Amino acid sequence: MRSRVICVVAGTVAALLVCTSALAHHGAASIYDLSKETTIKATVTEYVWTNPHVEIGISPNGGTTTELLLELGSPPNIRNRGWTSRSVKPGDVVTVTFHPGLRGAKIGVVMKLITADGKELRA
Amino acid sequence: MIRHLVTFSTAAALVAAAACSKPAAAPPAPAHPNLSGSWVRPLGDREVGGLPPVNEIPLTPWAAAKFKAERPAAGENQDFANTTDPSLRYADPNGYPRISLHPMRFKLIQTDDYVYQLWEYNQNWRQIALNVPPDPDPALTWYGNAVGKWEGDTLVVDSVGYKDSTWLDARGLPHTQDLHLVERIHRMGENLAFDVTFEDPGAFTKPWTAHLIFKPAPDGSMTENIYTISDELRFRERFLQQKAAIPIRR
Repeated sequence: MRSRVICVVAGTVAALLVCTSALAHHGAASIYDLSKETTIKATVTEYVWTNPHVEIGISPNGGTTTELLLELGSPPNIRNRGWTSRSVKPGDVVTVTFHPGLRGAKIGVVMKLITADGKELRA
Repeated sequence: MIRHLVTFSTAAALVAAAACSKPAAAPPAPAHPNLSGSWVRPLGDREVGGLPPVNEIPLTPWAAAKFKAERPAAGENQDFANTTDPSLRYADPNGYPRISLHPMRFKLIQTDDYVYQLWEYNQNWRQIALNVPPDPDPALTWYGNAVGKWEGDTLVVDSVGYKDSTWLDARGLPHTQDLHLVERIHRMGENLAFDVTFEDPGAFTKPWTAHLIFKPAPDGSMTENIYTISDELRFRERFLQQKAAIPIRR
């Protein structure tokens, strides 16, 4: 029982740490639902290494046009977490977990992404 | 040829003998602690301190009203879409000390005459002139006019001349152009501590202090990370469907 409590506490702390990285984004709480997580497998349509935040466009249906636009952190911050400007590319099939946009907006802020070759990257 | 070799060998032997008979002097101890290196306040790290809660800062009525009217992009009263944050609305430089609160590293370079802080965020920097009197009539700038001197192991930095259009932090804490900062910078174990005293009669009814801790960051090349108004407007266009009022680079 005690170990179960520890696991729950550890999980909560881990979740807070993940949320902390998401909260690095300006205005995150006013445009994303930080209480929700969505995980989908999708095809990358664009990957823009830019300020203020790196952008990933995806198509859950395997298309070539962006149906859902996701943001990451700023380039130096996510570089420190293992991302590079070539971590993904259009056409890659990835599994991505993100906080979805509020009010049904087709946007999200990435929490983690598993690349086509199985590498897990946290935002 | 042989004569030259003999002469050279003799000279080399004399040098070696001199070196053996008199131990080399140890290099002089540095006059001050070395604060150089790369430093960061990691996001979410509770040990790194920060500015106090706003209700613990002695705001003047003017400052309290200005703070209440601001719409920051983070914190309790956040309104990202309609923010009044000058660093987002105009992509203005953060100013000081706000830029040091940003979770990106800075590099500190220490020389005998100056200490430089080079922030990775937006490639902004400030200089602290050592052992010179303060400028009696400093121009108002984003990062102020700073002079410093050593008091034992602590670098004491006195700065004025700050433009009043910046926020002291991302919450929207205001100041006037009479802002006067006194910073005591010192090593704290492997970390670097900044004890900052804020004086500004127009914004604060009395001086107050913040304690900032910076942790060692991976050194090496700094990344170019320049953020422009086009970047912000393009982001808003894509993520918020806000139409840009001016032409933007795409």
